[in-house]
Formats: sequence, structure tokens, C-alpha cells
Amino acid sequence: MGPRNFIVAIVLATALSAGIFVATRLQAPATLNIGFVLPAPTPLPEFALLDQSGVAITRDAFRGHWNLVFFGFTHCPDICPATLQILAAARRELQAAGQDPLPRIALVSVDPERDSPELIGQYIDNFGDNNLGITGNLEELTKLASGLGIYFEKQAGEGGAYSVDHTAAVLLVNPDAEFHALFSGPHRVENYVHDLPLIMAGS
Amino acid sequence: MRTTILLTALFIGACGVEPQPPLVATEVVVTRPMPGMAMSAAYLSLTNNTDQPIHISRVTSAQFESVQLHESSIEDGVARMRAIPVLQIPAGETATLERGGKHLMLMRPRGTFESVSLQFFDDDDLILNVDANVQAIAN
Repeated sequence: MGPRNFIVAIVLATALSAGIFVATRLQAPATLNIGFVLPAPTPLPEFALLDQSGVAITRDAFRGHWNLVFFGFTHCPDICPATLQILAAARRELQAAGQDPLPRIALVSVDPERDSPELIGQYIDNFGDNNLGITGNLEELTKLASGLGIYFEKQAGEGGAYSVDHTAAVLLVNPDAEFHALFSGPHRVENYVHDLPLIMAGS
Repeated sequence: MRTTILLTALFIGACGVEPQPPLVATEVVVTRPMPGMAMSAAYLSLTNNTDQPIHISRVTSAQFESVQLHESSIEDGVARMRAIPVLQIPAGETATLERGGKHLMLMRPRGTFESVSLQFFDDDDLILNVDANVQAIAN
């Protein structure tokens, strides 16, 4: 190969490399911080529970909205309010950035013994407007939770007091009432602000 | 030599240098009970300035019927909360009570209030009183 051909070869190789690089960048799927999108969204299990107004609801209550679903309880003073605060703050940031649609926050009680519709309604109102509170009988809550791989178990304390152990993950349910994505943590505002638009846009 | 030490001691005394309190609280955050809710939480750092361990076995508050030491944790993806019978603070060390970890669980508020007092007992002896304004949980 003469010097001229050699130079042409280098130029072609460089152009090819640059082309491959640009194409790769353009086609690379955006990386999520903490979210895991299910390969195929799964319909929510059937259930019959109550919303914060005491109205009977089924899985259809999730239709028409993106929903950030957290299983917790109102007598949880630490992890539950901290997680819900993060979701509320993330939603505020997304709203300020013009994100549309915005996800709704849904709290499903793992403590139906104490969490009346009224109480869960008062509680969830502390984390923004248009949230969904869900409670009801234990059997139906267990049906919903176990169908989504959510664990919860009552733990006896002293003098009749008790706490409830529960899965700390946040689930994203899509407007077709399907379990769409999972956020296992760490629950930080910036992770939700980064991941939610990408997931809801289908990236 | 003895005179010098005596004079130094007198000088320090005259300058008003006071001995450090045995237990000092910093970074105190008390969350306001949410409307209708029977509980809240308090977070703070407690520094033991003595050369002996301090055992916080009891905390009381005029604003709550019950105060308990609890510890939250997330293990294998499961959130748990357990009571701690005694909070041990080794000599010269600081115990940090923070979100998602050790904290004070404040139960059954007595009415509404803007500030809270907390009394910490080392075994049976009152060792520290903390006054703090409550802070709303931001939504």
C-alpha cells in the first residue's frame, strides 16, 4: 500500500469508527438509576378493597393513571413518611419541570386493623393532592400484596403494641392497571426524577 | 509549682470556664405529628462527654404519653422497626439517631404544641433535658 492509499485507509477507518460511535450513542437505551422495568407488564391481581373515602374499589381504581404504589402503614413514624416524602418531592420536581403525565402516589395499608379509610386518607393527604389511600380487610390486602410479591407481617411489641414488617420497595403501576416497574432503592428524589420520565415515555 | 497550679486554677475559674455537661444533644429534629396521627419521631445526636458509658434507658416528654427508643432498618428489601431497651453511648462517643435508623418514637400526643421537651434518663438519673420546636413533614 502506497502512502496515499495508507492515508485514505486511515481516514476511512476513522470515519467508520466515528460513525459507529455516533450510531451507538443514538441507539443506546437510557440507563435507569434504580428502576427495573418488567419485561412484560403484569396485570394487578383481582382485589376488593376500600379507598380513603370508604368507597369499594377494585384494580380498576388504578386505571387511567401512572401510580407509585407503596405498601406501608400510618403508625410507622420513620421509614413510611420518609419514603412518601421522597415520592412527593420527586413529583413536585417533575411537575415543575413540566412532566406530563405525573404519577399518582398510592399507599396500600399493611395494617388494616388500625388504618381506617379516614385515617389513611388523613395520612396520605400530607404528601400532596390527588393521592390514593387503600385499606380494607386483611384477606383482600394479602391477595393484592402477595400477587405483587410484597411481604408484610405483624410483629408484636410490648404491652399490646405492634409494628408491621413490610417490603420497602415502590412499585410503578401503569394506566392499564399493570405492574410495570419496580424501585427497590435507594429511594432518593433524584433517582425518581431521573427514572420516571424515561419509564413513562417507554424508553 | 503548687502556687502556679493554684493560680492557674483560680485564673480558669475567674474566666468562667464551666465543666462540660455530661451529655449534649445536637442536630435535634422533632417532627410534628401529622393531623389525626398518633405518633411522630425525633432525631438527634447525643455526645457523651464523660469517661463512663451512658445508658439511656428511658425518655419522657410532657407532650407525649409515651416515648420509646426504636431502630428502623431495611434488610433484604424489608423495612423493620424494633424497640431498643437501652441506648448505650460509650465514653467520649456520639450516638446518632437519624432517619431510617435509631430514633425516638413519640406516641399519643397530648394536644397540639409548637415545641417539645424531652428528658433523657441514664438508668434512673435525669441526665439531659432537650427543648425543641416541632417541624412539619414537608409534602
